[in-house]
Amino acid sequence: MKTTKSIEIDQDIFLNSLLKGDHRKGSVVARSYSKSDEEIKLFYEHIVKPSLYKIGELWELNMITVAAEHLATSISESIMNELYEQVISDERVSKKVVLGCVENELHQVGIKMVADIFEMNGWDTFFLGASIPTSELISYAQDIDPNAIALSLTVYSHLPSLLHMIEEIRISLPEIPIVVGGQAFRHGGAVQVVAIPNVFIFNNLDEIELFIQNKAK
Amino acid sequence: MNKTELIESASKLESFNPKAVAEYEEKIPKMVAIMNEKMELRPDLDELIGPNNLSMMKDNHANHARFIASIMQNFNPEVLVETILWVFRAYRSRSFHSCYWAAQLSVWINIFEVELSAETYRDVLRLYTWMQVNIPSFIICSDEKLSENKSMHLPN
Repeated sequence: MKTTKSIEIDQDIFLNSLLKGDHRKGSVVARSYSKSDEEIKLFYEHIVKPSLYKIGELWELNMITVAAEHLATSISESIMNELYEQVISDERVSKKVVLGCVENELHQVGIKMVADIFEMNGWDTFFLGASIPTSELISYAQDIDPNAIALSLTVYSHLPSLLHMIEEIRISLPEIPIVVGGQAFRHGGAVQVVAIPNVFIFNNLDEIELFIQNKAK
Repeated sequence: MNKTELIESASKLESFNPKAVAEYEEKIPKMVAIMNEKMELRPDLDELIGPNNLSMMKDNHANHARFIASIMQNFNPEVLVETILWVFRAYRSRSFHSCYWAAQLSVWINIFEVELSAETYRDVLRLYTWMQVNIPSFIICSDEKLSENKSMHLPN
């Protein structure tokens, strides 16, 4: 059982492993959270997410280089992939979700976490990654015929691209639920997004899971 | 002004005319090119931005224009203030001098006067004047976090 204190210690170890480029040490922390879906969610939400926010803050204050920031992101993604075997649920629910970041948005770790939450809940996920052109996402979604689309926005100045993407999706796939989240909404700015029917904003992975279990039935 | 007061003050900026936003957005590539050209010609550029920061300054101009277009389109005072504070911290910690923002905003305004229609210029000017007037507050607020930097330790 993880306690608040042990999570804090693990967060510290994980952050330091990212700063030192020590993949192995980061993996050791990750493996200690691999026994259940709840633990993996805990690892994503309380270890990886705050560590990457901290890395961003250290870059902002010029305490680490761009190279160090990219390495930290790359190690985090790689460690998340190591957990994939535990993430896949044996109980499939015959539902599909297409996920991606809006055009020019390069930060994909958050939406990868969201993809894994869908996987844990038995969905088939189609993770299109960073900076997916709107027309490509729509064309792909039309082929796949998903039950939901999930989009991520980290940089606020990409908000017009997100609104445009949602508008275009609505024309081609009028009924499909769209879930949206990301660091861009940390200080607000979601009003225009939630005003669109059948579009849901999430602030954390628990809210995504609630969406999956309730709204996406 | 502290951060809360800056947000309160920004919330008094009225919403922007969609036509003005569209014109501003359409002219971004040209205005950013002029901006870079004008700033590069300044004899005091090294003092304003610090050594070897030319490409970072150009990135800032492009990001600035995209962000302003976005914030005028979807106005949110908290996002505006938080983002400006982030910019001040990220660039000041990389040797940009606080005088850079006064110089930058003044050059932007001169460019808008020439490149934008009179109506759009008036609308955009409200936001730029607000940013100009509040530069000292942004410096003080960003100082708080920058000074924390000195007491932070990275692992060996």
